[in-house]
Amino acid sequence: MKKRKAMLSITLAAAMMLSMGSVQVSAEEAEGAVLNVMIETAVESLDPQQATDGTSFEVIADYTDGLMQMDSDGAAVEALAESYEISEDGLTYTFHIREAYWSNGVQVTAADFVYAWQRAVDPDIASEYAYMLSDIGQIVNAEAIIAGEMDKSELGVTAVDDQTLEVQLNVPVSYFLSLMYFPTFYPVNQEFCESCGDTFGTSPDTVLSNGAFILTDYEPAATAFELVKNEDYWDADRVSLGGLSYQVIQDSQQALMSYQVGDLDITLVNGDQVEQVEDDPEFDSIGAGYLWYVSPNMDAVPELANLNIRMALTMAIDRESITADVLKDGSKATYTAVPMDFATGPDGSDYAEDQTRYSDVCTYDATLAAEYWQAGLEELGISELTLDMVVDSDDAPQKVAAVLKEQWETTLPGLTINLVVEPKKQRVQDMQDGNFELGLTRWGPDYADPMTYLGMWVTGNSNNYGLWSNEEYDAIIEECTTGDLCTDAEARWAALYDAEAIAMQEAVIFPLYTQCNAQMVSSSVTGIEFHAVALNRVYKNTVKTVE
Amino acid sequence: MKKYTLKRILTSFLTLLAILFVLFLLMQLMPGSPFNDEKLSSDQRELLYAKYGLDQPVIVQFFRYAANMLRGDLGVSYNISKNTPISQLIQTRLPISIGIGGAAVTIGAIVGLLLGLLAALKHDTIWDSLATIISVIGVSVPSYVFALALSYYFGFKLRWFPMLFSTKTLYASSVLPSISLSMFTMASIARFTRSEMLEVLGSEYMLLAESKGISGSALIFRHALRNALIPIITVLAPLVVDLMTGSLVVEKIFAIPGVGSLLVNAIQSNDYNVVIALSFIYSALYIGIMLVVDILYGVIDPRIRLAKEGD
Repeated sequence: MKKRKAMLSITLAAAMMLSMGSVQVSAEEAEGAVLNVMIETAVESLDPQQATDGTSFEVIADYTDGLMQMDSDGAAVEALAESYEISEDGLTYTFHIREAYWSNGVQVTAADFVYAWQRAVDPDIASEYAYMLSDIGQIVNAEAIIAGEMDKSELGVTAVDDQTLEVQLNVPVSYFLSLMYFPTFYPVNQEFCESCGDTFGTSPDTVLSNGAFILTDYEPAATAFELVKNEDYWDADRVSLGGLSYQVIQDSQQALMSYQVGDLDITLVNGDQVEQVEDDPEFDSIGAGYLWYVSPNMDAVPELANLNIRMALTMAIDRESITADVLKDGSKATYTAVPMDFATGPDGSDYAEDQTRYSDVCTYDATLAAEYWQAGLEELGISELTLDMVVDSDDAPQKVAAVLKEQWETTLPGLTINLVVEPKKQRVQDMQDGNFELGLTRWGPDYADPMTYLGMWVTGNSNNYGLWSNEEYDAIIEECTTGDLCTDAEARWAALYDAEAIAMQEAVIFPLYTQCNAQMVSSSVTGIEFHAVALNRVYKNTVKTVE
Repeated sequence: MKKYTLKRILTSFLTLLAILFVLFLLMQLMPGSPFNDEKLSSDQRELLYAKYGLDQPVIVQFFRYAANMLRGDLGVSYNISKNTPISQLIQTRLPISIGIGGAAVTIGAIVGLLLGLLAALKHDTIWDSLATIISVIGVSVPSYVFALALSYYFGFKLRWFPMLFSTKTLYASSVLPSISLSMFTMASIARFTRSEMLEVLGSEYMLLAESKGISGSALIFRHALRNALIPIITVLAPLVVDLMTGSLVVEKIFAIPGVGSLLVNAIQSNDYNVVIALSFIYSALYIGIMLVVDILYGVIDPRIRLAKEGD
């Protein structure tokens, strides 16, 4: 019998070895303290001009520097640009590039930026973030090149010499420097990129580093990959970590257990797990920048074109209850069209700090909501109303939508809400096509200026799903983007509040909450910088003490 | 036999072509499109459609795709891993899924066979009841429950095995997922083996063999088990494909970079090329295995071979 048992275990082991034989072990151990980072989704692209998701941006920025970088408060400070000058009219930016090298030993030059930015607007590349150069960055000719009406060589960016980059803008852009840390603007070495052909950015051999770390182990859509410290980084003295080890974990329970046994230094925690860990000093909640809101389709649904009905809907929402009882991840109830903690004004304060600014039109007041509701119904000559709301099939949006339905139906007599649950891509398409009544959606900031939100409500903007149109609003936004206010920071800031007030008084959106991510960060780790814009996590100043 | 095999191969090929066409049509029916990010303007979306040829009529897309496929080009991913050739994505993931699935099938089949045999030979004893209980649990409890339970006790509490898959600790980190996946196979095989063996053991030819003086292991293995194996192989074949093509949930739990999780992510993000390529490979594997099974029948049972030759 013993012999048989031994035979059995040998057979089992052999079967496993045989079937696993084709998998190779490719990773190497990194020197020094390695930070173990959990991510929820895999990297979609390591091509800085093609990447669009937060995970890809974070990893690209681990090993690539742009002209500017974020300091711990999110302000733009020099990175590859040693210094810069802005012309008096605010239309010309001249960057002087410091002595820095790619990981193949070639020096980083102004030509690398010219090549990269031309890629970003090249219709053949079809970069999803091309609009960062045209609409947002206002770089000369970007719009015409994207539309295929002009050659990419006409883009308003020139390498004056190897170390000098000159950028021409159509109009002064007050936040232009802050765009320089957005990965779409990161340099790419032309010779290297072309030598990689279609494989650019698909393996450690087909990316070049000029940043704090070097990618050593990566496969497309990898669930685990690693970076080591770049000893030749121009600012290498600042980097104390020996490397980064990323692990994609989709199951939140596994992620938390892995963290608890010490396999991870930082991990996300979902709302259901918060109660389990909220007393732990390593628990934290960090702003993710996204504003979640409900968009009413004022164009296609006559009842929603009625202001009283919209006011009733927004006033009947108990936002505090959504964040405290449903989400539980630290997300903040929001009463403004621009969320908190991402845009700082000329006076240094947060644009959306005052959440009571529009309390007369956006607050939780069941009595007032019911009054607006009755007035609206009377104006429309109806006694009941049924509305569909499209919502993503993900967990959190569904929970929020269920609570919204309950709050609305309880507070507003005669109202029936049908939830239409769809995969996110379908929901976005339906909203873009105007095929919805109410839509639960979100928007993350692309740059550190309120315009990243307020620009959406302009007539004809592709994210103005409800097709709202207001001449006064359009005029203010126009004045702030391409008009005289571009050069007057304080007046522009004040004008932006005027615009936001119009959108809120008209109840164009029903803001709900600013999303936060609940997470655990090991007490042995300090200095991870969290940002709501562009790069969610930066590790250049991170220190991990090893016992 | 040769003629029969050739005919089967030809039919399989035609079936695969039909499957490819249906897959293509299904992609058009899938809600949403690969490029539906809220940040994407309609002009930019048109550019992307043009870049990947999605602005062409479906039939043009189909023939272009089929022609590329014959050349071994499965296209590129649209958004899971932008512009990465799908062959490259699958190349690294398929061996991992096959590895873990293969280990699971092997464990499941061997343990299941032994359990089934034990139950049949010790019919109506405590062993039989035990084996039956184990197989009922194995069939009725989903593999992710085993996965979570194993991960909690052997990974988190006892720390015997890693909780997450890693190529660095390949064998150790494959143990828990392989066992979780093997439970269903084990239970199904045990049940089938038991009932088939009971039927065969009660048959007259077994009585004849016994009366001819054959006994012990020769009787069980050469006469009884061999006859019981035919239905078991029929059950095993689809299980093999299921397991080798990666388990969606178990891959997610153990963070295994296999093809199962790839397919789920591809479907969720409308990554057409990845969905088509993977579904096609699954179909090909399935049809291939069924072909092998048909041929195996002949090897095990000469009557089937002879009957087919008569076709």
